[in-house]
Amino acid sequence: MTYATLIFAPIALAFVGYALFSQRGNVVRGIALTTFALQFIVAIGLYNQLPATGYLDLGAFLSVDAFHFALSLRVDTLSVVMLLLSTMLLILVTLSSWTMEKSAAYFSLLIGFSGAIMGVFMTTNLLWFFIFWELTLLPMFFLVGIWGGEQRVYAAIKFFLYTHVASMLLLLALFLIYKQTGVWDVTLIKEAAIATPALVWWLLFIGFAVKMPLFPFHTWLPDAHVQAPAPVSALLAGVLLKMGAYGLIRFVIELMPEVSREHALYMLTLGLLTAFFAGLLAIYEQHLKKMVAYSSISHMGLVMVALSTVTVEGLSAALFEMVGHAFIISPLFLIAGMIYHQTGSYQMRDMGGMMQKAPYLSAIFVLAGMAALGMPATMGFVGELTVYLSAIAHYGAWVAIIALLSMLSAGYLIWSMRRVIYGELSPLMRNSQFVIHRIEFAALVVFGLLIVLFGVYPQPIFDAANHSFAYFGGRS
Amino acid sequence: MNNTITFLALFPFIGALLAFVLGKQQAKLAFWTAEGVSALLFLATLWLAYQYSTPISIDHTWLTFGTRSLPFGFYVDGLSIVMLLIATGLGFLDIHFAHDYMAEDKDQARYYAKVLFFIGGMILLVMAKDMIGLFVGWEFMGLASYLLISFWHSQKAPSDAGMQAFLYTRFGDMFIFAAIGLLLYFVGTLNLVEINTLAQAGGIDHSVAFIIALFIFIGAIGKSGQFPLFPWLMNAMEGPTTVSALIHGATMVNAGIYIVARLFDFYLSTEALLIVANIAAISAFIGATSALVQTEIKKVLAYSTMSHLALAFVGLGVGSLAAGMMHLVNHAVFKALLFLSAGAVILAAHHHKDLWQFGGLRGKLPFIAAFMAIGALSLSGIPPFSGFFSKDAVLTAALRNPETQGLIATLTTIAALLSIAYIGRVWLLLFSGEARDANLHQSIQRPSLFWIALPLLIMSVLTLMLGFYQSEIATFITGKTEASPHIDGLLTGLIIGLSILALIVVGLYAKDLTLVKKMAQHPFLSMLHQLLFHGYYVEAMINWFSQHAVVNGAAKASAWFDKRAIDASVNGFVPATQTAFNGLKTTQTGRIGDYIALMVAGLAVLLIVMMVGI
Repeated sequence: MTYATLIFAPIALAFVGYALFSQRGNVVRGIALTTFALQFIVAIGLYNQLPATGYLDLGAFLSVDAFHFALSLRVDTLSVVMLLLSTMLLILVTLSSWTMEKSAAYFSLLIGFSGAIMGVFMTTNLLWFFIFWELTLLPMFFLVGIWGGEQRVYAAIKFFLYTHVASMLLLLALFLIYKQTGVWDVTLIKEAAIATPALVWWLLFIGFAVKMPLFPFHTWLPDAHVQAPAPVSALLAGVLLKMGAYGLIRFVIELMPEVSREHALYMLTLGLLTAFFAGLLAIYEQHLKKMVAYSSISHMGLVMVALSTVTVEGLSAALFEMVGHAFIISPLFLIAGMIYHQTGSYQMRDMGGMMQKAPYLSAIFVLAGMAALGMPATMGFVGELTVYLSAIAHYGAWVAIIALLSMLSAGYLIWSMRRVIYGELSPLMRNSQFVIHRIEFAALVVFGLLIVLFGVYPQPIFDAANHSFAYFGGRS
Repeated sequence: MNNTITFLALFPFIGALLAFVLGKQQAKLAFWTAEGVSALLFLATLWLAYQYSTPISIDHTWLTFGTRSLPFGFYVDGLSIVMLLIATGLGFLDIHFAHDYMAEDKDQARYYAKVLFFIGGMILLVMAKDMIGLFVGWEFMGLASYLLISFWHSQKAPSDAGMQAFLYTRFGDMFIFAAIGLLLYFVGTLNLVEINTLAQAGGIDHSVAFIIALFIFIGAIGKSGQFPLFPWLMNAMEGPTTVSALIHGATMVNAGIYIVARLFDFYLSTEALLIVANIAAISAFIGATSALVQTEIKKVLAYSTMSHLALAFVGLGVGSLAAGMMHLVNHAVFKALLFLSAGAVILAAHHHKDLWQFGGLRGKLPFIAAFMAIGALSLSGIPPFSGFFSKDAVLTAALRNPETQGLIATLTTIAALLSIAYIGRVWLLLFSGEARDANLHQSIQRPSLFWIALPLLIMSVLTLMLGFYQSEIATFITGKTEASPHIDGLLTGLIIGLSILALIVVGLYAKDLTLVKKMAQHPFLSMLHQLLFHGYYVEAMINWFSQHAVVNGAAKASAWFDKRAIDASVNGFVPATQTAFNGLKTTQTGRIGDYIALMVAGLAVLLIVMMVGI
């Protein structure tokens, strides 16, 4: 078996599955689950095979010698962690979409997406990386554009154009790199060989920053999230944003650590601005799902803060925060979607008293909300604490202003809970039944368990992270 | 010993899960689980106290990221054991009392699970060896109090109160979170004992130590309901009374004092201690004066908690660990007694809480009247009840410290004296005179002796006994014997002051309330009354600030900037696409296909151009 199958088989399967079973969504759903489970198992296998340092070579395919265009597949701990995270999320998102309509097409798109995302995280060839990167956009565009809310087309196109412009910058950067170094493979490129490092750095940085998203390139995200169906929002937050952060680590920080260190203050400033600005927006927001979206952006700002240190502590903390963010924000989006499904509204002023109608659903919302505001024994606390400690060790005492974020996040989350879950039953909530399919509910429970499990016992993720970034050296 | 500590750290949380799961099967099982778990916790603490000789220390590493490890260890000394006894002992009595108090509630599983979680948070906090463990326990209590205050979540007031409690205490927590990083950066350790030792040896830069000490104290202000973060404590009265007793006696509010006491050597080395004393003196005064005019039983008690915790803080702030901690210990017991007595009255009166509805309950509830009197006497500082000794010690310490003997000592003395006035007023309005609401008076039910009176009896006995073991307990806590100093004339002065105030209160409230009502008509007095009743309008000011400066200020400005500046410039940047959006909004998904085709084509062209370009 060649590992390229992991990428291309799902893409082919997406078309074949849809062609054969376009009327039988349940079958496609089964195919999707099997595919993701297999991918997950292979990722675990890869994790166990990883060498003590560096990459595990998985071979090269489709070699076109003239252009150095071979699809070289190599993974290290970071890529395998991303593979594990994405496949796990794909499984949970599939479970959360159990009752989705037009399901054959929907699950086909998910299957196709999984192939592209495998490619993103497995290849070290810059050009192939770019191709897979663009490929992930297609299913996402359809998922938002077809299953989304009323303004789905506006949101889908905005999302598309935003990330597309960013992709052009990336492409330009990749082009420059190739021109200057003569290779496409990121593991063969020496930082010193890049003749215009600052230009390449900025092009790559902005390209990935849009995806992450960082202030001021973030405005596509709330629109896309609000219009996307809830499971797709979870996928956007859990996988797509992570691609941005992954790209920053792999193709900006790892590729050009020295240039990155020189630009650390820009990254730090943008990270802090993102975190605070999005936090303030979340406080003012009346729209439940947008509030969650801003909270998501705010947390990605923290990831950026940690990344900017370019130390093993910072990168480990960033990786943990990325994983934590996926597990915390996803259930919040999913529950927001369920509430909308039941009440027909996203406006928090229409809500109240959900605890009386759906106590367990509310409890998971409270748990995820508490995690998002950094309550100990959840992943949110571990992420926030390690990000803060790595940043203060690197930049000095003034970084203590990060602590303000814990007040901001408590502000918007506790206030939202007050409006949605607590208090007297609102008329809209009173008339809602809150019938939740038990498989969709089970997916939420799994999220809750993961949040607490890795919040109490975070070491496995840090082991992987420390392993990934050991060569960056300690505090500096 | 180590096993006992691990047991204490884990069992409350296991118990909480158990209580919830079993309680969902049958409501009463939740109570019995909680009663059993808390009894075991108390027994384990007693065992620990019995075996204790030298501080026990257990080291764990929680996580390693990069080259840095974060510890999660336990450290148990005399101070921790006394706090553990309070948390588990009073916690157990509180749960026992809840058997009747919460008997009619539908959600007992949830209630007892949360209470055990609450106690577990306090246990973690007082056993923590490092700032991390301490912060974990600290936040757990924030969460538990949030969940318990808004326990009756379907009503507006408890939901608001829970939110307020969380946000106010979170404001303080944020500073502790910041302090963790500062400690690691400047001091290089999170170990509480090492911080003390380093500070004593002069190993911490002065200004750094001052900032860190100040930050940690701001956290303590939030948790212990001191000025200006106290309003949550009063609104928290919306929760069940058993929860109030837990917050005010066994757990939550003690945490703020504990953290300063735990880092006392560190505080001694900084000027922050004087700030502690100042804030505490202001809080003591605000609490005592506002307590004078409240109309709800529990609100009087809440303001008195604020005032008395402030007295404990004054003790610490003027440099006497023994005085501060002893007042905390005594207060925990008599305040739990007072709250549960009030709970007994409220339960007997079918959840009526307004003082003016009662009167003449002496005959109906003689035991409760007696128990509450014991708590009230102790709170007022009448010898030989426990409160007298520690209050005396705090005042002595304040008067002997040349830096604090002026304004701080004066405010503290006023607050200490006023306690007899407000608690005397409560007792008289409840138990003496005539019944003001005949229907209510008729419906008063006699509470159960075993479930209600027994825990009150135990606490009353404790309140009496504690007075005779003050120096022993203080030695156990501080680890050193201190001669308790005396100031000639202080005792006499206090007794004269207390007697005068007692006479005034008896005159105003014992029988005839006409004079009080006449005073309320007076314009100046009624203005004063309003000021005190609303807690000096601190809550209104904080609300104004968060409403206008944060939500409708910074947040609204950000939203405006986001929409008008960033998003608008993006949309303006590509005017053509803007029109495309508008056009597409009305059409349906059919045209997406065209766009995708275009996009793929564009991508292909780009790739080809690139290839050729190379």
